[in-house]
Amino acid sequence: MLFKLDSFTLTGIDAVRVSVEAHITRGLPEFIIVGLPGKAVNESRQRVRSAVINSGFDFPVKKIIINLSPADIKKDGSFYDLPIALAILSACRQVKPELSVESCFVGELSLDGSINPVSGLISMAEKAKRIGKKYFFVPYGIASQVSFISGLKIISCTNLFEAVEALSGYDKLEKFVYKKEKDDKKIDGYGFDFSDVKGQLKAKRALEIAVAGRHNIMLIGPPGSGKTMLARRTVTIMPDLSIQECIDVTRIYSLYKKDVNRLIKKRPFRSPHHTTSRMGLIGGGVNPKPGEISLAHKGVLFLDEFSQFPGINIEDLRQPLEDKEVTITRNNFSYAFPCNFMLVVATNPCYCGYFGNDSKKCVCSLNEIKRFWKKMSGPIMDRIDMRIAIGRLPESSFVDVNKGESSENIKERVNRCMEIQEKRFKGKGISYNSEVGTNIVNEWFEKDKNIRDLIYKISKRYDLTARGIMSVLKVSRTIADLEGSYYIKEHHLIEAVNYRVNFNYHLSSFINSL
Amino acid sequence: MKIDTATGKILHILYEKEVKASRFIDIYRKNNGDIYETVNYFLKYSNLKFKYAGEEQESGGKERDNTGCREISYGEIVDFILKNEVGLLGIGNDFYPKLLEQIYIPPPVLFFKGGMIKSMDFAVAVVGSRRCTVYGKEAAGYISKCLSEIGITIVSGLASGIDSFAHRAALEGKGGTIGVLGCGIDVVYPPENKSLYEEIPGNGSIVTEFVPGTPPLKSNFPVRNRIISGLCNGVVVVEAGEKSGALITGEIALKQDREVFAVPGNIFKDENRGCHRLIKQGAKLVDRIDDILEEFSQYRDQILSPDKKTGRILSNEKNHDSSLYGDDLKIYKFIGYKPKSVEEIVGYSGMELKNVLNIIASLEMKELIREDSFNKYVRLF
Repeated sequence: MLFKLDSFTLTGIDAVRVSVEAHITRGLPEFIIVGLPGKAVNESRQRVRSAVINSGFDFPVKKIIINLSPADIKKDGSFYDLPIALAILSACRQVKPELSVESCFVGELSLDGSINPVSGLISMAEKAKRIGKKYFFVPYGIASQVSFISGLKIISCTNLFEAVEALSGYDKLEKFVYKKEKDDKKIDGYGFDFSDVKGQLKAKRALEIAVAGRHNIMLIGPPGSGKTMLARRTVTIMPDLSIQECIDVTRIYSLYKKDVNRLIKKRPFRSPHHTTSRMGLIGGGVNPKPGEISLAHKGVLFLDEFSQFPGINIEDLRQPLEDKEVTITRNNFSYAFPCNFMLVVATNPCYCGYFGNDSKKCVCSLNEIKRFWKKMSGPIMDRIDMRIAIGRLPESSFVDVNKGESSENIKERVNRCMEIQEKRFKGKGISYNSEVGTNIVNEWFEKDKNIRDLIYKISKRYDLTARGIMSVLKVSRTIADLEGSYYIKEHHLIEAVNYRVNFNYHLSSFINSL
Repeated sequence: MKIDTATGKILHILYEKEVKASRFIDIYRKNNGDIYETVNYFLKYSNLKFKYAGEEQESGGKERDNTGCREISYGEIVDFILKNEVGLLGIGNDFYPKLLEQIYIPPPVLFFKGGMIKSMDFAVAVVGSRRCTVYGKEAAGYISKCLSEIGITIVSGLASGIDSFAHRAALEGKGGTIGVLGCGIDVVYPPENKSLYEEIPGNGSIVTEFVPGTPPLKSNFPVRNRIISGLCNGVVVVEAGEKSGALITGEIALKQDREVFAVPGNIFKDENRGCHRLIKQGAKLVDRIDDILEEFSQYRDQILSPDKKTGRILSNEKNHDSSLYGDDLKIYKFIGYKPKSVEEIVGYSGMELKNVLNIIASLEMKELIREDSFNKYVRLF
């Protein structure tokens, strides 16, 4: 007696069809799974057995062989509990599987027969639709995650008994079809707002510009100056995610944790601790999982205490920042995870944290300060267009009751700026000011001689390198866009200079070296 | 470079026969400053090695001899001098600075680069903290520049901070500048002063008593400080914290009977504690160049009468008020000598932040204001 069902496995972010074949023969009672099962898959034998019995069915006392095909892909995870159980029940004729050809199944079984959530549901649902399936049996709790997919009926069952019932006929199926919730369009608030931040006008303006042109930004300040508070609020002024972006984000999150019970509509904000491993940051592992950079896809990756991150982890960010995608190769497979994020980093200005601060004296030696900054210089700093210093607020501002501008207002301006950029870069393969190359930047400035003179003056006065100047120019383009100006004018450029802390310049200004 | 006979013999006595410098100076003084007598005194005992361990260890340790020198043989030193553009000046030589010869233990030989040390006739030291503020930098630069322009040589320690600004400002002037090292003449320390190290011999000298290759040991610097003040008629301490090395220079200068000046600063800042202590002890407070010139008879005629408005008073030298107008002027005037943050400026002016940032950056580009600490600006003039 043989029976076949379809399920999926995950290779990175993509789902691959796996057919679950059950063959029951006479012989010594035995239950074998073949087809490169991982530990979790092998253990599913025990779960399936108990779940079948506890759901009121008989578990056949025969030789059972389960094959997961294609047999050369390593399979791990608990997706196969439900399909294995259904395949066995169908093979031994306890169930009449009417719909098995048009359906596919994933789900983890509890010993009592209830179905638990699994990861990676979105990728599987998309794959199911692509291969022409009509019904997709998913765990009950997380069905809303995939409700947006049209043309595929999501069957959500709470336990094995229900799944058997649904499988047995069209008429019984209808009551298990998942129905969309009404208020799906509503976006949850982030719970905080830019208006919570007192003072720090310059930092707020800088973040607005950074978000508008998707410039990576560094916040430099002493402990307690509000770096983290500001960084957390960057997501509140980013444009709302489009449906496609929501799906992309949710897809990654559904790989990362199982209980994603709906489409994610908030921009992700990830703030990994500096002890996070390379794999944790970039992604990887034996069964590659998305790292922090992918979890920050379409949102903000915030590296607090940037100076404390190991140099090698920081260098790892270089290629993902350029490509907006990270490809991880393990054994036979390459897995690509998207990682289009905005980088916000925060750091103290020196080891003790008080360099360049007049409220408390810095106790670091000049050499220590230089060493501190040397660690961060180099290619990764070149990719950070804006570097702003923030100071501690004076005590008087804590009792200030005037609220700042709300995130909603700022977001409106950012949205307008995004539209302008969209128009400008249409068909050029880029979408933000921060991504443009040298040739395009030069085009912006080649006509205006005054501006070119000013650029020369700025680079001399502030001792900026070619890359430094390039960053200032890109930022000035964003400032002009925010103002709705077609041309970059002098005051845009001069404002941009404020957002580029050149540390050599500051060292010479604060301490001395010539 | 060549070595003259007398200096060569001093080298021989110091590094071949291992006579301590203090012992050498002792005999030199006993012979009433006759270098030939002194040299002959030591050479008579050609087979003896002089070692007077433990003698002349002053308790304060302020004036020590060249104990920080590295082990180097006489032959190596001579080789080094002959191969490199380094001069050697022995005590008793006509060009040996007269003022320096009078201190408690003058260095028997001086290694130098650049000819200024031979021709200098009037010098003032400008010293201060290695970690200085914008204010200290401006003050050191201004004083050095003015003094150098009227022909006074500026002596300092070639350290980072105040020292380097003093040297840099004096390089252009008539007086030139002399840098006294706390290490061998071939050692560049601190490394960021390399350009200064290369430029000074063009209009000044680099001087040291330490043999080539001596590393910049901590103990060398107090020893070096006695040469800085020894070379000068007066010492100006610009910015010195409670424990600054510049204070040691000031104290040695008092012992050596030099004029000591101190530039006052903000009473709330630690950077100025040392200077204020010097003033309490009797150092002269400097807030105009004339305060320094008054103390030296040969420069009295350079003093400006108060009604002349060419401006020797420090703060009013450059006045850019006239080139500014409107909001620029308003903000410039608001940014005083006490640092003001961007937020304060916005609050005061009531203007939009982006306009304020524009004005700040353009004022900064005109070198009228400067970022003093992160996000806080001060007026320079």
